[in-house]
Amino acid sequence: MLEKTGVATPEEIEKVFPSEERLKKGPVVIVECFREIPCNPCYTACNQNAIKEFIDINDLPNVDHDNCNGCGLCISKCPGLAIRVLDMTWSDEEAMVRIPYEFLPLPVAGDIVDGLDREGNKLVDVRVEKVQNSKMMDKTPVLWLAVKKAFAKEVVFMKPQPRKDTRADETIVCRCSDVTLGDIRQMVEDGYTTVDEIKRLTRAGMGPCQGKTCGQIILREISMMTGKSMEELTLGTYRPPIKSVKLGEIAKTAERGEES
Amino acid sequence: MKTADILVIGGGPAGLCATLNAAEMGAKVLLVERDDALGGQLVKQTHMFFGSEKQYASTRGIDIGKLLIEKIGTFENVEVMKETTVIGIYEDGVVTLEERHGGYLKVKPESIIVTTGASEKFLGFPNNDLPGIYGAGAVQTLMNVYGVKPGNNVLMVGAGNIGLIVSYQLTQAGVNVAGIVEAAPKIGGYLVHASKVRRMGIPIYTSHTVKQAHGSDRLTGVTMIQLDEKWQQVPGTEKEIEVDVLCISVGLSPLSELLHQAGCEIKYVASLSGFVPVRDENMMTTQEGIFVAGDVGGIEEASSAMVEGYLAGLSAAEWLGYSSDTLTERKTDLKEQLRSLRSGPEGARIRQGIEQITRQAPGNASRKGQAMAAVPGK
Repeated sequence: MLEKTGVATPEEIEKVFPSEERLKKGPVVIVECFREIPCNPCYTACNQNAIKEFIDINDLPNVDHDNCNGCGLCISKCPGLAIRVLDMTWSDEEAMVRIPYEFLPLPVAGDIVDGLDREGNKLVDVRVEKVQNSKMMDKTPVLWLAVKKAFAKEVVFMKPQPRKDTRADETIVCRCSDVTLGDIRQMVEDGYTTVDEIKRLTRAGMGPCQGKTCGQIILREISMMTGKSMEELTLGTYRPPIKSVKLGEIAKTAERGEES
Repeated sequence: MKTADILVIGGGPAGLCATLNAAEMGAKVLLVERDDALGGQLVKQTHMFFGSEKQYASTRGIDIGKLLIEKIGTFENVEVMKETTVIGIYEDGVVTLEERHGGYLKVKPESIIVTTGASEKFLGFPNNDLPGIYGAGAVQTLMNVYGVKPGNNVLMVGAGNIGLIVSYQLTQAGVNVAGIVEAAPKIGGYLVHASKVRRMGIPIYTSHTVKQAHGSDRLTGVTMIQLDEKWQQVPGTEKEIEVDVLCISVGLSPLSELLHQAGCEIKYVASLSGFVPVRDENMMTTQEGIFVAGDVGGIEEASSAMVEGYLAGLSAAEWLGYSSDTLTERKTDLKEQLRSLRSGPEGARIRQGIEQITRQAPGNASRKGQAMAAVPGK
């Protein structure tokens, strides 16, 4: 029972599910909202008149699947994250399931991830086909998941699989100060998400090369792990000198009285 | 002594909206906030809000706060005092404030809007004082305001909206949530929130409670136990869970002590979660010139707190004699918004509570020269 478990029963799901006939026609919305709460952004988001105007704001969404063109505008607007779009016509073997996903790191197209059911059980491996993360989605990105047709109606969420990275954690990122990829990832995982912070804590970028080797690698790791684009990140603060200089050379200049 | 047309106590969603509408009507408003930032709980709400466009539905709470604060900055007739706590309302209508970094002052406002919000309820069980046991508010502050993980493995107590939302946010922060324990036989929060955490594999144990916490220097585990239909622990159903954080989210209680001091009539209303002030439909308490809005008047969602705030702001300004062409229209719209937010089955409890504390004979909409009444409670 939904109220006891938080998981909808097959009967409840059947009530909101598009007909087989409609599923055969292409992408269509599925709104798993089973309890009247004061909320109507799904109606506001829909410009196909597929989610009908609410007479009372507490009404359940009234969905006309025949009007839905599967545009998916409503997916990231639902505060309850209760909306997904299912396309059973995607290919011969696979259906496309579009779900809202508010977790970092975001997957990238091509990733194989765990397809989960309503209780979080893994049903099947699914492939991330596309990641939509526009400004309009306001931090509720939409994932396009290619799912084997037999599982497509039951896959409602996904979990990344442990990263099979061929690069060992011992891979050296900063040669000057012996900082490894594992060190950098640990830093980002602990919440240090700028080059400056990582520099101060690991000394990466403070050696003879002054970050020429490690800077870009660290930036890419931060970008991948936080989901921020490279444009949003910076290489940190530059201060003189830009390369290592012998103290003696500076001292000689001073001795010659050229310090000013 | 400092003066103001309207003193707004508390800069959360209700207080911000009250300030905005009162200022727009032309009143000189002093907004006092205990914290070092305005926004109240909005600053921690990283999830999208429910409601309709009028209540910023689909916008994240944190962004709603920013929007409101930005608007407040455009009013020259609003003074904001942060890091300042209102510590008393006296019979002569004088209000005393304490500033965090030293300073104690008196204000004589013409009218007051109390928007102090609520505090968290706690539970009594053995070892409930171990480090690692937090209220859900503290966990949200650590994570969402300061960017600090409260721990690595959490047991949540309470499947109301806050318990469900904070469990979700913990998972977003990379913290494992071992489960959600709920004493009631049913999930209290919105079922869409429940389904959201369930599909991440987080179990919800309804009809269960915390029997005991374990640990010497800090929390290492919890014994949970099943409850029967009469809410009695069922021996033999104990279950041990290893966690380093126990997050308590078992409801809120209205922070109404200032209203007690001001002599407002207060009633205990279970469905509004505690002692709440009697008021009229314009949010005025039984003390002329003293208004309320938000959780201090009964625990609800932030969307209704904002609408109540807007309404109280208009009403307080009107009471002082300010007017605008659209006043009646706007008040009617706000009352209609409140009615509609509370009209569904989730609002049934709230409706029944509000009915108990809405006084039949409304106060004077306009004071007509009369001073704000503040007398000691009976």
